Amino acid sequence: MFIRKLVALLAVLALLAAACGGDDDDATETTAGSDDTTTTEAMTDETTTTEAMTDETTTTAATGDDELIVGVSWNNYNEERWAKSDEPAIVAALDAAGASYISTDAGSSAEQQITDVEQLISQGADVLIILAQDGTAILPAVQSAVDQGVPVIAYDRLIENPGALYITFDNVEVGRMQARAIYEAVPEGNYVFIKGNQADANADFLRGGQQEVLLEATGCEELEGDCPIVNVGEMYTDNWDPAVAQTNMEQILTQINNEVDAVVASNDGTAGGVVEALRAQGLAGIVPVSGQDGDAAALNRVALGEQTVSVWKDARELGKAAGEAAVALAQGTALGDIAGVVSFDSPGGNTMTSILLAPIPITQDNLDVVLTAEWIDEATLCQNVPSGTVAVCP
Amino acid sequence: MTTTTDRGTPLVELRDIRVAFGGVHAVDGVTVDLYPGEVVALVGGNGAGKTTLIRTLSGAHKADSGQIFINGERVVIESPRDAKTHAIETIYQTLALAENIDAPSNMFLGRELATRWGTLNDRAMENAAVQVMGRLNPKFQNFKVPVQSLSGGQRQSVAIARAVHFNAKILIMDEPTAALGPAETEQVNDLIQQLKAEGIGIFLISHDIHDVFDLADRISVMLQGKLVGTVNKTDVTKDEVLGMIIMGKLPSEVSATELEQLHD
Amino acid sequence: MTNAPAKAPEEQIESIQVEESARGRFGSIIREMEIDTRMLGMILALLVIWIGFHFWSGKGSWSNGTFLTARNLWNLSVQTAAVGIMATGMVLVIVSRNIDLSVGSMLAVLGMAMAMLQAEILPDYLDFGSPWIWVISLAAGIVMGAVLGAFQGVIIAHVGVPSFIVTLGGLLVWRGAAWMMASGRTIAPMDATFQLLGGGARGTIGATWSWVVGVLAAVGIVVLLINNRRQRIRYGFHVRPRWADYSIGVFSIAVVLGAVGYLNSYLLPPRLAEQRGGGDIAFGLANPVLIAIAVVLAITFIATRLRFGRYVYAIGGNPEAAELAGIKTKATIVKTFALMGILVGIGAAVQVARLNAAVSGLGQLTELYVIAAAVIGGTSLSGGIGTIPGAMLGALVMQSLQSGMALVGVETAAQDIAVGVVLVVAVAFDTVYRRRSAA
Repeated sequence: MFIRKLVALLAVLALLAAACGGDDDDATETTAGSDDTTTTEAMTDETTTTEAMTDETTTTAATGDDELIVGVSWNNYNEERWAKSDEPAIVAALDAAGASYISTDAGSSAEQQITDVEQLISQGADVLIILAQDGTAILPAVQSAVDQGVPVIAYDRLIENPGALYITFDNVEVGRMQARAIYEAVPEGNYVFIKGNQADANADFLRGGQQEVLLEATGCEELEGDCPIVNVGEMYTDNWDPAVAQTNMEQILTQINNEVDAVVASNDGTAGGVVEALRAQGLAGIVPVSGQDGDAAALNRVALGEQTVSVWKDARELGKAAGEAAVALAQGTALGDIAGVVSFDSPGGNTMTSILLAPIPITQDNLDVVLTAEWIDEATLCQNVPSGTVAVCP
Repeated sequence: MTTTTDRGTPLVELRDIRVAFGGVHAVDGVTVDLYPGEVVALVGGNGAGKTTLIRTLSGAHKADSGQIFINGERVVIESPRDAKTHAIETIYQTLALAENIDAPSNMFLGRELATRWGTLNDRAMENAAVQVMGRLNPKFQNFKVPVQSLSGGQRQSVAIARAVHFNAKILIMDEPTAALGPAETEQVNDLIQQLKAEGIGIFLISHDIHDVFDLADRISVMLQGKLVGTVNKTDVTKDEVLGMIIMGKLPSEVSATELEQLHD
Repeated sequence: MTNAPAKAPEEQIESIQVEESARGRFGSIIREMEIDTRMLGMILALLVIWIGFHFWSGKGSWSNGTFLTARNLWNLSVQTAAVGIMATGMVLVIVSRNIDLSVGSMLAVLGMAMAMLQAEILPDYLDFGSPWIWVISLAAGIVMGAVLGAFQGVIIAHVGVPSFIVTLGGLLVWRGAAWMMASGRTIAPMDATFQLLGGGARGTIGATWSWVVGVLAAVGIVVLLINNRRQRIRYGFHVRPRWADYSIGVFSIAVVLGAVGYLNSYLLPPRLAEQRGGGDIAFGLANPVLIAIAVVLAITFIATRLRFGRYVYAIGGNPEAAELAGIKTKATIVKTFALMGILVGIGAAVQVARLNAAVSGLGQLTELYVIAAAVIGGTSLSGGIGTIPGAMLGALVMQSLQSGMALVGVETAAQDIAVGVVLVVAVAFDTVYRRRSAA
């Protein structure tokens, strides 16, 4: 009996300790989808504590004009970007317009997200912002929402439904920017491409943009043969996992006997794995590597010279644009009348009404941009950077 | 008819033991005793409570009420370890052997011999096992294989060796020959005689009335949790004992015709 | 019967006898040497995989192949380390008739804790580069692992919730905790000394020390063989013929020294060598590999020479018998899970040091690879059976498949399919083998 009480007490303490260990800037919490709910059922005492915390969610959003409810369906809240940048920006835009915010987390499950979307509609959402786990699987739910008169915004990831507003950074442009920066450093030689998750449409958008720039710059039909740039290795990275990228890069280096001149990595996480693999061969800082996301660790690598470029998409801009467009749509504005829309021809042959935001390539030359925008602080950016090597670092 | 001749202090006395599972009285106020060098058979039909009764002595189950006396002194047995400290060893019906480890390891399970650095002294344990098995089953050679690979009779001898090695004064044997062939049964019976001669007291549970009459000195019969009675083997016939088991009637209470009807 | 068959009956019988005695002679050699045929089978399978990938990576030519190069085998040893370390603990968990599904998530939360201590918390109190930073971080990770593991163990043993459920809960809880600790951020870089735990160009012991390790191993083998023989003679057990002992000794030592020598031929790339004075400098054994070897030795010792290990196997074989023998089964189970937690802590340190970063998605699906490694290595999911070296070998088999496929450019999706198929086939073989030898 004593043991059981002790265990219950420890469970509560453990959960409280974990919660208190989190970042102080973390203002909001999502109503948990699959992740937290099932866990708490396993240990009864935790349920009451999580419910106490989630109650904060609904109160932080504005309650002024609660006629307009904006529902956001996250694909997997577990990634740095969404909580740190996108969500606060969306919430701020909604607060400014006097709308309220509800959300769900699908925990990387496409099926769960369909349920989440239905749940948001039944909770009275007037407009939906959907960050799709799988853009194809979510189609039925999106169509159903559109049919029910609930406008849908496809956030950051493509959903092939012309009735939805597609708001994203131009991911093809991101790929182009990555390739341009690398090409400037290495106009000829052996290139390795470390791509994203095979199931993620963005991975192919990026690769497409990279290929476009390189083919144009070299004038070749393919990156092989006697083309100045030769593709010597190309692999997808399961789940965008940095550890997988590291192992894949190690194997490619072994296979090509270190004969690589540049690595086009599709995001900062995979770039980190690539740099570690290069470091073990003494090639870190020698072989240019690209990335995207403006990750703190990646920007530090750019300052150190180990990464050439990190294409930065100020997610706060994306969140703001989505929040503002959501309010406009909920108020009844027609799709084509939303400010700043253009037409975008999707790979699936649909003409999407889109807002395409411009990313910014961050290299060693323009690090001041991220400092000024208060995206990262100087101490983190300049950690271990020898003085005098980089303008913005002391 | 219970015997009342004065034989001194019994080796073991289980007095007024009660065990209940929910509302079911598995053992309902049973008193039995055992003297050195004798075999007392506990018999009864299914659900009579004999296994439950004996488990209170072997420490596998704690009695709800009642007392246990060893050599006249009151003892408390709450776990298998307690029983072993009082020189009570049990050979369970299922043998309680771990199939995946070898014979010496099973013999010493829970009571392993250690080297001076605190590690397992497998060699010493194997040595001791060889010694004991030499007495019980001289043809046994498979000391290093998992017990799973041994025959039923060999497994039985491992279980018995465990009890013998630790110098049991009181031995409990629950259906020792149920899974054995005639030759092996013979071996076990010989062993029991040997142990009796050494002054060890044995509680024997068996459903085989012929084995009981071959081996036991006294017979305690249980029915539905209660003790029907304890008789000397020499004073009764097999049929009278059957009558006790099935009808719950002492030999003095039963007629010849009723005994004949048992065979219909 | 009247018509003469193709061969006369006496000839037929003779040829069968010759066949049988040839097979019998080979079989008796194996028996005399007391080789574990199952382990032998696994090693053969590993060799087939290695040779197969070597040809594949060379596009059919042996000399162009890259799989069996010292460099790739060196990489393979480092890539296997973390999963191998954790698989040794998983053997004991599975042997005791339990399972631990929370390993991957625990890896994330322990890795995140160690990373945050190094990168964010301790630098506020200690100078950068202070040796205390990596020591405290590592110790904290291991202790936390023991505590989390014991916590799960207590719920399993004392409260009685099945281990599948408790560790499934753990899988969700620890993953969520890992995320909450850093709000999903990537924490990087690690302390310079801590990074050495992960291998890389600096995290190795160099050629000389690798030879020292090799020689120590060789001496160890000789001592073990001599000791074994002496014990058998003293207690009158069956003694292996001298030639068998010699063959085993010579062969094992050759393999160990050969492996060390071959790995030592993997040299630093010119640029790194110049930084250290130039010339041919070998990487030597990587730290994660040394840690893995030490772990295998330690856990094998615990499993076979300590009471605790004996009790784990007894509980797996017959939990009731263990209780009746007076074994404290509940305490043993708690210790088993605490040990698993400690090993996850060590694995997390190696993983985070190697990647030089901690992400909250660290270790996703790792529990499945760890369990698969133990099972391919011969551990039975019904409990009671399993060896530690087998699990390390199982981890090596799986990593060889994955790394080999990455080497030749097979996509991850196909890799996953291949690993899954191999897992099922390996266990199927094992099941049939056990059934045959029991019959």
